[in-house]
Amino acid sequence: MDIGLIAQHTVNGLMLGLIYSLVAVGFTLFFGVLNVIKFSHGDMLTWGVFTAFSVYLGLALVGLTSPSFTLVVVALIAMAAIGFLGAVIAKVLIIPLKGAPPLNTLLITLMLGTVLRESIRLFYPDGANPKHFPALLPDWSHSWGHFTLRFDNTAMLIVGILMIILVQIIIKRTKLGMAIRAVSQDEETARIMGINFNMVVYVTFAIGSGLAAFAGVIYGLYYNELSFNMGLLLGAIGFSAAAVGGFGNIYGAIVGGFLFALLQTVGAAALPFASAYKDVFAFGVVIVLIAIKPTGLLGEKETERV
Amino acid sequence: MKLNRSISFILGLFLMLASGPVMAKDTVEVAFIGPLTGGVSAIGVGGRNSADLAVKLRNADPKAKYHYELMVLDDECKPNAGVQVATKAAANKKIIAAVAQYCSVVALASVDVYHKFGLPVVVWGAVHPDITYGNKYKEIHRINGTMINQNEIAAKFITGLGYKTWVNLYDTTDYGKGMNEYFSKYLTENGGKILGSFGVTSDQQDFTAELTQAKKLNPDVIWFGGLTPLGVRIRLQMEKLGLTSQFQSCSGIISDAFITGSGDLAEGTIAFREGEPVENLPGGIWFLKEYNKVGYKEAPDAFGPFAFAAMNLILDVIEEVGPNRKAVVKRMENIKGYEAIVGSVTFDEHGQNTSPAITKYVVQDGKWVPWKNSEYASGKRKLKRR
Amino acid sequence: MSESSRKRSSFLPSLLAVLAGVVYMVFFLAGESQMVIFGLLLGAGLVVTAFKYLRVLDVVGESAKDNQRAFSIAVVMGVLAVSLYFYDDPFVLFLVGTVLVYVLTCLGLNIQFGFVGVLNFAGASFFGVGCYTAAVLTKNTAVPHLVIIFLGGLMAALLGFLILIPVLKTRGHYAALVTIAFALLFKTFLEVNDTLGGPQGLKCGALNLFGWDFNRDIVIGSFEGCFYLGYIAVILLLLILGFIMARRMEDSWVGLNMDAVRLDETVSACFGQSIPRWKITAFTIGNFYCGVAGAFYAMMLGYIAPTNFTFGDSLILLSIVILGGLGSMWGTVVATIIVILIPEKFQVLQEYRFLLFSALVIAILLFRPQGLLPRPLRSYITLKSSSNR
Repeated sequence: MDIGLIAQHTVNGLMLGLIYSLVAVGFTLFFGVLNVIKFSHGDMLTWGVFTAFSVYLGLALVGLTSPSFTLVVVALIAMAAIGFLGAVIAKVLIIPLKGAPPLNTLLITLMLGTVLRESIRLFYPDGANPKHFPALLPDWSHSWGHFTLRFDNTAMLIVGILMIILVQIIIKRTKLGMAIRAVSQDEETARIMGINFNMVVYVTFAIGSGLAAFAGVIYGLYYNELSFNMGLLLGAIGFSAAAVGGFGNIYGAIVGGFLFALLQTVGAAALPFASAYKDVFAFGVVIVLIAIKPTGLLGEKETERV
Repeated sequence: MKLNRSISFILGLFLMLASGPVMAKDTVEVAFIGPLTGGVSAIGVGGRNSADLAVKLRNADPKAKYHYELMVLDDECKPNAGVQVATKAAANKKIIAAVAQYCSVVALASVDVYHKFGLPVVVWGAVHPDITYGNKYKEIHRINGTMINQNEIAAKFITGLGYKTWVNLYDTTDYGKGMNEYFSKYLTENGGKILGSFGVTSDQQDFTAELTQAKKLNPDVIWFGGLTPLGVRIRLQMEKLGLTSQFQSCSGIISDAFITGSGDLAEGTIAFREGEPVENLPGGIWFLKEYNKVGYKEAPDAFGPFAFAAMNLILDVIEEVGPNRKAVVKRMENIKGYEAIVGSVTFDEHGQNTSPAITKYVVQDGKWVPWKNSEYASGKRKLKRR
Repeated sequence: MSESSRKRSSFLPSLLAVLAGVVYMVFFLAGESQMVIFGLLLGAGLVVTAFKYLRVLDVVGESAKDNQRAFSIAVVMGVLAVSLYFYDDPFVLFLVGTVLVYVLTCLGLNIQFGFVGVLNFAGASFFGVGCYTAAVLTKNTAVPHLVIIFLGGLMAALLGFLILIPVLKTRGHYAALVTIAFALLFKTFLEVNDTLGGPQGLKCGALNLFGWDFNRDIVIGSFEGCFYLGYIAVILLLLILGFIMARRMEDSWVGLNMDAVRLDETVSACFGQSIPRWKITAFTIGNFYCGVAGAFYAMMLGYIAPTNFTFGDSLILLSIVILGGLGSMWGTVVATIIVILIPEKFQVLQEYRFLLFSALVIAILLFRPQGLLPRPLRSYITLKSSSNR
């Protein structure tokens, strides 16, 4: 196994890990704030990338085709739109069901995910077929032996990590972040202290969904493809990454995301029939980890009511 | 005067009554089964339109004995959906015959159903040999060639261009596996060396594992046996990983979707397909003219002419022996030298049309162009690693 | 009001309801044009709503509750009548058989979710385990087919047992995660495994009981019935057995314990119940039902492929259970008929199936969480003429 190959695998793993982490952070934020697992998160990612694609097509129609410009515009619009959608979903579906048995909410979000997925398949023109996402980043690359470093991959990695750092800063250093953390710790006390609970929930959902949309755009740029059911597996992976890291803990979600990608890459490189079994392998290890340490690697916030 | 008038009146009435039965034709139902949704829907829809064209033209023909109705069923290119719609069509006693299947995996699953219910079927696009050769069902016929021929010519041609080493990727359906089996066999016979073979699932997203290993092996050509969606992904990811090998594939990726999906990267891809290009077919130009006259939204795509020919064959046989499944099956056993727009059709004892024509295609400027007409053949453009 | 002296209501209303249902089914299944189907659906909807307001449904409900045995027999007779009416239409019979198979599967899921509250997102996958067991065993061994059906259930139960063990002591959503992962990966796992047929799937031998090959048309004297009639008889038998077993379980201390676990885990744990034990029991039993149904279905269909058992199919099974009413067995029956038959006949809906039923489940969970036929409250009051409950 020469260095070049290992480096190649590493870069692949990092990209995947980034995408998973972004999704996992969303899951963990939602759980922290509302004790709810929002299974439709993966499909928000799909909606994000489809929105981006549609905006791109729209811009192309109008004649604006400069890649870097379109990229920024497209990404921002997608994030804003899906963030808004997330807040709407919070208002309409999640908050009204606060008192219901948690399994009900789980079911509802799962079904919601299906509705989102199927809507794209049925109502987006030619939705059932995968589409080609334009390569909006310059694609020059440099090769050292077997290892090819591409500009677009590095750019995406850097921006992705910056985004995660940004979220961290928001959560840890701003008043809004403090409000979110307060609500996660103890809802009633937070309300007593004057925090507008509903507003905090909407904003959290908006942030999480915006992150998902961002992850979707990155995914689209990386694979140059988007399809209606890309969110399903990603959602499941994001969920298990958040679980492994410990729900409610952002660092845990990030660790979980990269850990899952690491497992997948190791599985792909080491096992025969690589790509099929890598998912089985990764999920298997994750489930064992959860069984060993149910509160997650970095600890979960306690929510057991007695 | 009055007598003349009444005689002519009665005569006219009589004539009208006599022509009555001719005006009220019996309705006969036929079916079309193909992938109308999913990754290869473009081909399926093209086939459906072509079959529909055949029915429309026949209904507009005053000499036709029956009025035909087409029932369209979607098999989603999935075996279970295919078996279900096959059961639906075959169990419906009113459907006399069907034009069925582009996806080999679905055809292989459905042949038993057709046989169980005795529904005569003409396959219009699936290329796996076992569909006709794997059984002795009298109901199954196929108008297009099998993958054996395709791969034999492919191997000879590509080694003839001077390439020496291959890495093969194939999807793990029977279609991909079959392609791989035959291609590898003929390739080694022709002196090509296969450095590695990788099976991938038919909905696989990420090929970095396989392609990274392929890069290590550094082959002249990367060959892929499977359908368009995967072909697109593999081609794009080859580029991302910096693979400079030539890309070669099979009939499964000959579709417009491959070109729109791969964009500029599709340029120079080589693939092979049974039958001549539409323009070279005996009835090809006429078929295209009629197709455009009706104004279908979608193109007939690569296998439209075959679907048209298959449906026409069925309609001709029904006209001859009447709307009876058993009679149709019996008549189909003796099709020899039937002139269709795809050429002369003769079914052997397995119901397979023995048509040897295989066309080599290369992508040039965003279109599938027959090799001999391309600038690659004349030397004006060069393939990779040449 | 002394409940214990309430008179047992007459069987007549529910009998009439069953008869009406049979006649409606015959028309519905025989309908060809989409307009007719649409009209029938609309009509049924209006009639049912009208009856609800005129309290007719309450009368029918009470009558059914008080005459359980007679009602069940009437329904079974009704199903047989409908099947015999269509004795030479293979597709309709195939549909009837499919509905019965799904009812059995959803009964199993009901036991898991409705009784104990364990969410199983891999219902279709366990069904698939049963299918593959049957396919492999019929093709490669000479094991008698009844045993194969039983083994199908056993394999599914075993696999479920193995999967649930790691997450027994954790909370609800981890079990959900495990079953989701299993559902997503089952299909991929099958596709790469050539021994299990790979993506092509496997052919499955036809049911063969005591020497009678079920794939031959039934010819008794001058009566030539389609071969699916035989299958319908067998699945009906299996279903009746399953139904009785589930009912018995529900009425016994087993059901009581399960309900306690579902309603409040902490309190039941305080009362000394072993939560993991009950969860495993229900999960395993439920999967057994799914496996049996799967094994039978494989033999009836004759062919199975991995794409039969996707995550979306598991979700449809769950939506049937929720639509019918959690823990309500007759509710499952009605919901299965609605979810399976209507898209088949009313072709327009076929494409929109998943979307429609997911949205329906959301609506139900928001507005009427008890489902169509809510599970009646547990009652310990016997009626004057002591009938079995």
